[in-house]
Amino acid sequence: MIMTNKEVLDNASLQRALTRITYEIIERNKGGQDLVLVGIKTRGEFLAHRVADRLEQLEDVNIPVMAIDVTNYRDDVLNRDDNLGLNDEEKTNIANKNIVLIDDVLFTGRTIRAALDALIHIGRPSTIALAVLVDRGHRELPIRADFVGKNIPTAQNEKIKVLVQEIDGRDAVEIVH
Amino acid sequence: MMQRHLILEDGTTFQGMSFGSPATTFGEIIFHTAMTGYQEIITDPIYDGQMIVFATPIVGAAGIHAEAYESVKPTIRGMIVNDLAEVSVNRQRRMNLDRFLKQHNIPGLYQVDTRQLIRHLRETGPQKATIVDYADEHAVDQLVATVLTNKQVQNMATPKPYANPARGRHIVVIDFGLKHGILRMLGDYDANVSVLPYTTSVDEVLTLDPDGIILSTGPGDPRALPESVLTLIRVLQSKVPMLGIGLGHELFALANGAELMPLPSEHHGMNHPIQEIISRQIFYAMQGQGYAVDEKTIDRKKLFVTYRDLVDGAVQGLRHRDFPAFSVQFFPDAAPGPLEATTVFADFFETVEDYVEHYNQQ
Amino acid sequence: MSNTITNNKIKKVLFIGAGANDFGREGEHDAAIFQVMPELRGHGIEIFIIDDNPYALSLESLAATVFWQQLTVDNLKKVVRENNIDTVAPLFGGESSLRLWAEVVQSWAHGDGTVPSTLGLSIDMLLKVNNIPALTAMMADIGLPVINNYVLKAQDEANELLRELHLPLMVRALHPNQTNTRQIVERLDDFEDAINLAKTQSVTQEVIISRAINGLKEVSIEILRDVRGNKMQIGASEDMDPIGIHTADSLSVSPILTIQDQLIGRMRDYAFRIADMLQLKGVMHVQFAVDDDTHTIYVIKVSPYIDQMATRMSLATGYPTMLVAINLAIGVPLEEIVLPHDFGKHVAMMEPMMDHVVVKLPVFPFGELEAAGVHVNRQLNSVQKSVGSTLGLGRTFIEALEKAIRSAHFNNASFSPTNMKHINDDELIQQLIHPQDNRVLLLIEAIKRGYEIDELAELTAIDEFYFYQLKYLHQLESEIEANIDNIDALRLGKKYGLSDGLIARFWHTDFNIIRTLAKENGINVTYKSVEPSAGEFPENARQYYATYESENESVQISDNTVLVIGSGAFRMGDAAAGGYATTVVMSELRRLQYPTIIMNNNPSDATLLPHLADKQYLEPLEVSDVMKVVELEKPKVIVIPGNRRKLINALRDLNQNVVILPKTKHIPGGPNENQSEFALNIFYDGQQAYPINLTQHMAGEMRVIPQVAHIPDTIVSTNFEAPGVYQVIYYQSIVHWVDRMDLSNMGYDSWIRPMPFGQVAYLSKAMQTQWLRLTIRAAMDDLTSRDIELLQTINERPIVYPYSMIAADINYRLHLQPHEVIDGTRFEMGVGVKDYG
Repeated sequence: MIMTNKEVLDNASLQRALTRITYEIIERNKGGQDLVLVGIKTRGEFLAHRVADRLEQLEDVNIPVMAIDVTNYRDDVLNRDDNLGLNDEEKTNIANKNIVLIDDVLFTGRTIRAALDALIHIGRPSTIALAVLVDRGHRELPIRADFVGKNIPTAQNEKIKVLVQEIDGRDAVEIVH
Repeated sequence: MMQRHLILEDGTTFQGMSFGSPATTFGEIIFHTAMTGYQEIITDPIYDGQMIVFATPIVGAAGIHAEAYESVKPTIRGMIVNDLAEVSVNRQRRMNLDRFLKQHNIPGLYQVDTRQLIRHLRETGPQKATIVDYADEHAVDQLVATVLTNKQVQNMATPKPYANPARGRHIVVIDFGLKHGILRMLGDYDANVSVLPYTTSVDEVLTLDPDGIILSTGPGDPRALPESVLTLIRVLQSKVPMLGIGLGHELFALANGAELMPLPSEHHGMNHPIQEIISRQIFYAMQGQGYAVDEKTIDRKKLFVTYRDLVDGAVQGLRHRDFPAFSVQFFPDAAPGPLEATTVFADFFETVEDYVEHYNQQ
Repeated sequence: MSNTITNNKIKKVLFIGAGANDFGREGEHDAAIFQVMPELRGHGIEIFIIDDNPYALSLESLAATVFWQQLTVDNLKKVVRENNIDTVAPLFGGESSLRLWAEVVQSWAHGDGTVPSTLGLSIDMLLKVNNIPALTAMMADIGLPVINNYVLKAQDEANELLRELHLPLMVRALHPNQTNTRQIVERLDDFEDAINLAKTQSVTQEVIISRAINGLKEVSIEILRDVRGNKMQIGASEDMDPIGIHTADSLSVSPILTIQDQLIGRMRDYAFRIADMLQLKGVMHVQFAVDDDTHTIYVIKVSPYIDQMATRMSLATGYPTMLVAINLAIGVPLEEIVLPHDFGKHVAMMEPMMDHVVVKLPVFPFGELEAAGVHVNRQLNSVQKSVGSTLGLGRTFIEALEKAIRSAHFNNASFSPTNMKHINDDELIQQLIHPQDNRVLLLIEAIKRGYEIDELAELTAIDEFYFYQLKYLHQLESEIEANIDNIDALRLGKKYGLSDGLIARFWHTDFNIIRTLAKENGINVTYKSVEPSAGEFPENARQYYATYESENESVQISDNTVLVIGSGAFRMGDAAAGGYATTVVMSELRRLQYPTIIMNNNPSDATLLPHLADKQYLEPLEVSDVMKVVELEKPKVIVIPGNRRKLINALRDLNQNVVILPKTKHIPGGPNENQSEFALNIFYDGQQAYPINLTQHMAGEMRVIPQVAHIPDTIVSTNFEAPGVYQVIYYQSIVHWVDRMDLSNMGYDSWIRPMPFGQVAYLSKAMQTQWLRLTIRAAMDDLTSRDIELLQTINERPIVYPYSMIAADINYRLHLQPHEVIDGTRFEMGVGVKDYG
């Protein structure tokens, strides 16, 4: 079978989606106090930095960005490992903060659930909101994003690929058939 | 073609040849550096009552086209150009510039050293001017005695509501002298449009259950409008996604406590770099402004600056901190002007979609 | 933003020159490289340049380590390896450099080390740009309107395609080996020939066929893009002539006049999307075909490198394209580009606006060839025939057109209003449909004969606007002709750009009479600056053009000025050497700290680069045009190429201090196949003649004879007109290279001529002695004692580069379809070098 990639979000639209998410985060976190961005590795981390860059451009503030790795924290993974890749300082910094969890694609919801479990387990934040670049549907858990870059309805067997400049050389979202 | 004269309030006179209407005319004279889009510019209601000097060397060669009207009836007071192109009137070009101006009783002047005139105007700023047959004392006295209206919005805006129905999101446009470009863009999004007069009430707007509100472009000084307009904006911005454009942006700023300042030399053109501050991206758009929002007067707890003109530093966009309400000083409808600015409408409609979705979920 | 790349990796950059001049390669690349190398050095980067063109100025730049070598894959690899080059800059050398660099990259082997990065374009995109079908497919993928390409190898496949597509069709080579010709096939009979020709031009013998779009308007948009993805438009032009005539052979106009804003906006948007697609860091020229009536647009060519459009737009608008381009290429974002202080603060970021009209007129070689008895096909089509071009700047189209015509021909004689009287109506119609080089005159003649504008627009596919303009020009000329000595007519004529000389012809008098009459009646020239804000901001302009309006912006710059008269358009037999000579002279004058002014109208040479003069006049070079500048600037000295006899005499008559750059009026002859041309080369410093060396010239190649030259007594007494390089020429029936010449043989058949600029350029490089700098120093009385010492011993010095100068491999057959063989050394367009040492 030949795999074909179809670009569904080009560079400019991707930038605009991140911009809009940033504005909405400001709107809902009046004053932006105690805000911490947590990116889910790998691409969520880069997206979190993009949002942080935007907040800095706009407000001249430095919002802390952390990255967590939940591949070993999912309920469908055997031999769970509670290490999220956070250091102790970062772990304490989560307490009583308003967290915005950032991921590239929201699909079944299992990754997010794992991230939520982990964050609550280690740090007791005061709120957690979820921002995703792409919501592709097919949820298996009752999870919904607070900030969505783009809703892209997909078939179960399709793959959504988010490309970022830092790894892939360019910013785009593609569907792989 | 007969020789006529342009007299400025400061006493400077220029000679030129007449085209369009032979009438005597008075207005505020400004200059425009855009090289294309003369038809859109002279039909744009924001230029109501003004005389426009074009920097572009030849005007008229592209004809007059049905799809390039920005209002049905142009109300500029004069058009001053270096060279006027004659083009025939035929199947493709049903109208030419000379005839068009005659039909609308607008005088034109060509073979004017427009570069000298522009270099002069960039120093003096806009001023009163007249186009006359004889440059005598009488004409100067007349010019000095003329009082130009500040009721341009009243002249240009619709007194009655009207609709432009379609099947998409419901957008209410508050009209301050709307240009067609905005409706054209809303059409591209299949928006179901209701255009309301600016004297409309909050209830009248909300009864229509809009998904988004646009504060339109318009001519003149927004401070000449009644306080009720600002109240309207203040209430609506907290309830429905809002986009202000041009005069609508200035009103959005005023409604949120900012003040305006006149620009030393008005800016009309499409070549200034505009930066979206959040992404640092630079783009270009049609701009036409005599005023800018004074950045010092912006209440940072309410608004933040979203776009800036990198040439003069002027504020080009604002956004409310607490509501999905934002505004742009430049014209994102690309009629005329670069298409890249139309993403403002995409932003607006995405905001509207978000709003509708959240509303449904609540 | 996170995608900002501050590129600290760039340490050593190699520029690839464009090689020999050719059709469509007039020197703009060399000018661009010459301009950007010092700028790049300012960023702390070490610069290298490789080129083989003896006329290349960049090979004489002090900003770079220079490799004067043949442009081959092996030589490039060697330079890269031996100098640890980390970055290569092919985009400034244009299409040919790009292609050569792509070949190098493709042949890169494991043992060659790391592939250097390419400035401005990724390797992947570099290869795509060189593969038209791949590029077209990419554009189609992102929804751009392109014309489908079909790649074929065999004639029967082509015939099959013919049944699917309708004529006319466009036929081109895939993977072209050198020139890539767009052939338009309108008749079935021509199809096979076109395929065959395209095959011969293809490395893989593959041919691209696509639907032709003859008759649509051709539009060019010039844009740029930075590392952050910011894009801006820096120029646009429309061709008066429709698609079907090569854009270089078309009359082009800036700004775009006859196309609506909405269509221009779409083209701009397409160009931006292509730049994003290519992830370009630099400037790009995109050509479009436009149908006004249906609002259809096609992308027809994408050139993400420096070409003539880039240099022309830079002159037309005053926007510093090259300085910005090199900053973009190394990753400086648009917002952070710092320009030299004489540019306005925000110039790099502001889209240039124009308040004047610029007409580009092609210059054809037909006159020179026919004078020499070579017959060629003068019909214009999709293959380029012009060898150069000139610009005319004015406030109206007619003014700009008149000035472009005057620039192209030095005078109006060949554009006399009566020139077309002899042509009969049948021929007229034939030529309207199948245009030749005299197109503009023909159109005016048709108007004179009462053809309706609708009818002409239909026949020629030219926008009616142009016919209204030409009709007005015709009325204007008739009015002037009918009203001798009428001041109003004179005023109108001057306003629309008619020269004193042309009005004098109408009134059967001398241009001086017209000049005086105009002056007495207050009809005065006004100079306007060319600056990118169109009057919105105060400008530090250096570029000016003349018009007749009320405000003059140009003031005298000093009372010690040297005014340099350029050599105008490239034409056959002169080629890029004229531009080279003028530029070197200007550079030397600047070094000697003379306030310098240049007058020229050639958009493709380096003479109009911003840093080479204190002021530029983009003007025709007819006597009266020059006189007006002289009256304003009151130069101390005027430097003029020696072939401009009429101008020299006129200026001397007016007591101007003229310095002549020795040059003959006509194309110098050359040896035929059975002989050698020998030259004894001599430098004359104004008082004394110094022997330089001896050269031997066989058809197609020239070498230095390794022998100490002396000047025979007979020649010492000869009067040379002005300081400069001369040669004593004589012929012998020798067809092998000699290493000694008996000077006593130099007999009765010899004569003296100024050394052609092309040979001066070659000798300057081969000997590493700057002959033109010495010439101007001698003329300005600025020779140093070291110069004299050098001159006294120069004949004993062996040449540094044992290279011969060879005629470049130029495809005259393709471009001009001559009936006879064209001798590349006589009608030279471009030359290269060969290492024989």
